[in-house]
Amino acid sequence: MAEHVILFAGPMGAGKTTAIESLSEIETIRTEANNTDRETADKDTTTVALDYGEITVGDEDKVRLYGVPGQRRFNFMWTILKERAVGLVLLVNNDAADPIQELADFLDEFGDLHEKGGVVVCVTRSDVATSPHIDQYAEKIREVLPGRMIPVFTADARNTDQMRTCLMSLIANIEMTAMIAASQERAA
Amino acid sequence: MNNAAPSAHKDPHIIACAGEVLEGLNEFCRSLRYATFLTDDGFEVASFGGDDKQNRRVASMASSMQALGDAVAKDLRIGAAEYIIIAAETGYVIQMRVPDQLMVLAAHFDAAETVGKALSVVRLAASNMCAMIRREAA
Ligand SMILES: Nc1nc2c(ncn2[C@@H]2O[C@H](COP(=O)(O)OP(=O)(O)OP(=O)(O)O)[C@@H](O)[C@H]2O)c(=O)[nH]1
Ligand SMILES: [Mg+2]
Repeated sequence: MAEHVILFAGPMGAGKTTAIESLSEIETIRTEANNTDRETADKDTTTVALDYGEITVGDEDKVRLYGVPGQRRFNFMWTILKERAVGLVLLVNNDAADPIQELADFLDEFGDLHEKGGVVVCVTRSDVATSPHIDQYAEKIREVLPGRMIPVFTADARNTDQMRTCLMSLIANIEMTAMIAASQERAA
Repeated sequence: MNNAAPSAHKDPHIIACAGEVLEGLNEFCRSLRYATFLTDDGFEVASFGGDDKQNRRVASMASSMQALGDAVAKDLRIGAAEYIIIAAETGYVIQMRVPDQLMVLAAHFDAAETVGKALSVVRLAASNMCAMIRREAA
């Protein structure tokens, strides 16, 4: 299987940079800047261009991991990075002001990556805010993208094993999409 | 780095200083099309020329460019990125960090200007901005 490019998207403070740091086998490339928007996410830095990391899956498949900035004013980077991606890890922090709306907004922007390969949703910081429940995310996904297979996990972006589980489930979906496309081509 | 004023784009004093420096930059260099001071994380502090929407967008993009420049310089271990130039057919953009501040100046000149002069006026404006903030703080 060729190289996969996987995008990590989601709101500010969801844990995109942290997740790529947890997963990457190489030293990650970061573009963090001093964060002046403490109301949205109370943390020292925020991503202003991209995150980059790499991980090998199986024997030799290299997976390139790109993180986007969460703040919408950087959405020109969303367009640039989305172009190359075949799959999406959509991270949503459960302690966001309105996480279910964030989910809907980011699915609206990035949901078409499902057709290119696959999408998984990963709910983070559920230790910080215990609601909404994961079922509410699943329900929203059914509402905005009916009939699509989009798994939902809760995970801690700081935890390599948990992030690996999300990523592996996405890669399985991407490979299945590719197999279906290939068999449809053969049938045609 | 100066962390005392985390939100330069919300500080009326800094916004006023930035406006003044940009006026001076324009007086000094008529080939300036527009210029923006921005925070490291891409919020517009003050601008000269351009419309609001464009200035906000330039501020975000310049912040990404600056961070990518820094990331490349870091990866190549060539020290801190001093300035970034984008040369295009009908003009160029120069951007530079304001010394000791979490702020960047991005300026767009038309092609009539020489890169050397544009670079030196941007450097001067950036250091004027730094000096002004220091004076205000003192
Ligand atoms: N308590 C807790 N903290 C978490 C969890 N997942 C991530 N974090 C923390 O949440 C913060 C997420 O910050 P980033 O990784 O910078 O978030 P980001 O999505 O890259 O944000 P932007 O780049 O600003 O859009 C970090 O401080 C993480 O350590 C979790 O499940 N629980
Ligand atoms: Mg980030």
